[in-house]
Amino acid sequence: MQAGYIFVLPSILLYAAFVLAPVAITIILSFTYYDISFGADWVGFENYVRFLTEPRSLEIFWNTLRFAFLAVSFNVAVGLILALALNRAMPKFLLYFFRLAFFLPVIISAAFVAVVWSYFYSVDFGVINYYLGQIGLPQVPWLSSSKFAMTSIVIMDVWKNTGFFMIILIAALQGVPRPIMDAASMDGASAWRRFGRITLPFISPVLFFCIVFASIGALQVFESIMILTGGGPGDSTRSLSIYLVDEAFGSFELGYAAAVSVIMMILVLIITIIQIIGSRRWVRE
Amino acid sequence: MQTRSMQTRQAKKWVDRAIIAVLLLMGILMLMPFFWLFSMSFRPAPEAYKMPPSFFPPSFDLSNYQTVLESSVPFLKIYWNSLYVAVLVTIGQLITCTLAAFAYARLRFPGRDSLFFVMLIGLMFPAQVTILPIYLGYAKLGLLNNPLGLVLMGLTSSFGVFMLRQFLRSQPKELEEAALMDGAGYFKIFWRISLPQLMPALGALAIITFTGAWNSYFQPRALIESQAAMTLPIAMDLLRGYMSQGNLSVVMAAMSMAILPVVLLFLVAQKMVIEGVTFSGIRA
Repeated sequence: MQAGYIFVLPSILLYAAFVLAPVAITIILSFTYYDISFGADWVGFENYVRFLTEPRSLEIFWNTLRFAFLAVSFNVAVGLILALALNRAMPKFLLYFFRLAFFLPVIISAAFVAVVWSYFYSVDFGVINYYLGQIGLPQVPWLSSSKFAMTSIVIMDVWKNTGFFMIILIAALQGVPRPIMDAASMDGASAWRRFGRITLPFISPVLFFCIVFASIGALQVFESIMILTGGGPGDSTRSLSIYLVDEAFGSFELGYAAAVSVIMMILVLIITIIQIIGSRRWVRE
Repeated sequence: MQTRSMQTRQAKKWVDRAIIAVLLLMGILMLMPFFWLFSMSFRPAPEAYKMPPSFFPPSFDLSNYQTVLESSVPFLKIYWNSLYVAVLVTIGQLITCTLAAFAYARLRFPGRDSLFFVMLIGLMFPAQVTILPIYLGYAKLGLLNNPLGLVLMGLTSSFGVFMLRQFLRSQPKELEEAALMDGAGYFKIFWRISLPQLMPALGALAIITFTGAWNSYFQPRALIESQAAMTLPIAMDLLRGYMSQGNLSVVMAAMSMAILPVVLLFLVAQKMVIEGVTFSGIRA
């Protein structure tokens, strides 16, 4: 009967060492001023007060939320449009091609592809500006102007991640019962009406999952911004993850960085709770 | 009536075709960064600044690849580090997660469900919440700037345990029960009966874990500074800065080599990769 413990022991020990203990220590650390050589001083809520009162950290907080809002909306909306477009009979090789084209960006690290995108976006040597110039449009400072930088990052993020939501939504669309759809079109319901009255209600739990999932990922955005702009110009594209790394490994403000990471954890927690409540509601209805 | 339905059917066919044509165009656009990446990596030096870069390289010139390998960035060592971390993390997770999943799905012992619940909570913590203490701990143990550190922290995952346990529970357990009646030991049951049952799920978990580790950026970025200990994703940044004055094609050659394993994996096992990734929901 006790054999079970032996089987779970390796994973539990590793999990305790690399997840549970670190999370607990991060929470404690967030209430201290921590110096690598002198150790920790208890400072209560000072780090949190600093985060909530400093204009810079608040700007970064809103940047992150703004990025998340834009990235989630476009990723899920484009994914849904693609899924609707792809959800029809087509030859096998076409299906293979579409899965390849839309899903390949999902599984290649942003750390790699963002380097390519940074060349696309380059002002003088970039491919995008070259083509804009060809059709007589002005050059756009894609990454070097705080007006465009966030948009440029969102565009790349949608290119990279929308295929994920497309695949999940295709699976959901295939679950929409055929007979109901056929009956509706027999009765003369327009495509829009069928979409609004049948498809959308049917896939809404999956759509909800996509939004939750996209939000959790977007709040942690790191490498694409790191490589495209490094958080600049100024702080205009700096996300919480980048701020955390700057504070921890740039200025060695470990206590403060811990508070930033706890705040990120709370954001993720809030979304998870919304998900749990939301999915209960779907199940009941 | 007859002609009308034939007309609508005809119209529907044309709409279908138009949509597929638009999708094809978009698909090609989606793949454009990859086309460019590969074709630029073969550009001979005189073409390096040609605008726009050609989609098809004029020749398959390997000199850019040679330049990467001969540059002062230890590219082969970095490539080896990436392989070393991704392979060991994958093997580690397959072992620890399979063992745990077997116990949670098939054995009874006090505290089993609470332990499993505690393990599940791990799905909620972003990497940002664990990185600082790991950094401090590794600094004490001398594991900073060491790929082994990346291996150790990746040897198990809540997701792997969860996925395999769910899979095993969906399989019939009569065989295990019969074997138990016959007096077979737990380890024998695990090895002879449960492990073979788990095989399809293990393939998916291996793919997810390997790509996840191969693509990982946040943790290596926090824990590794020295070039000799880097993995590919963080080295790309380095290569780019290092060669920013020089030839872009060289960076693209490095990049082509870096993404090759994942691209190949996707080309040969497309279905399995998609199923695995959408199940786990990793964002590479």
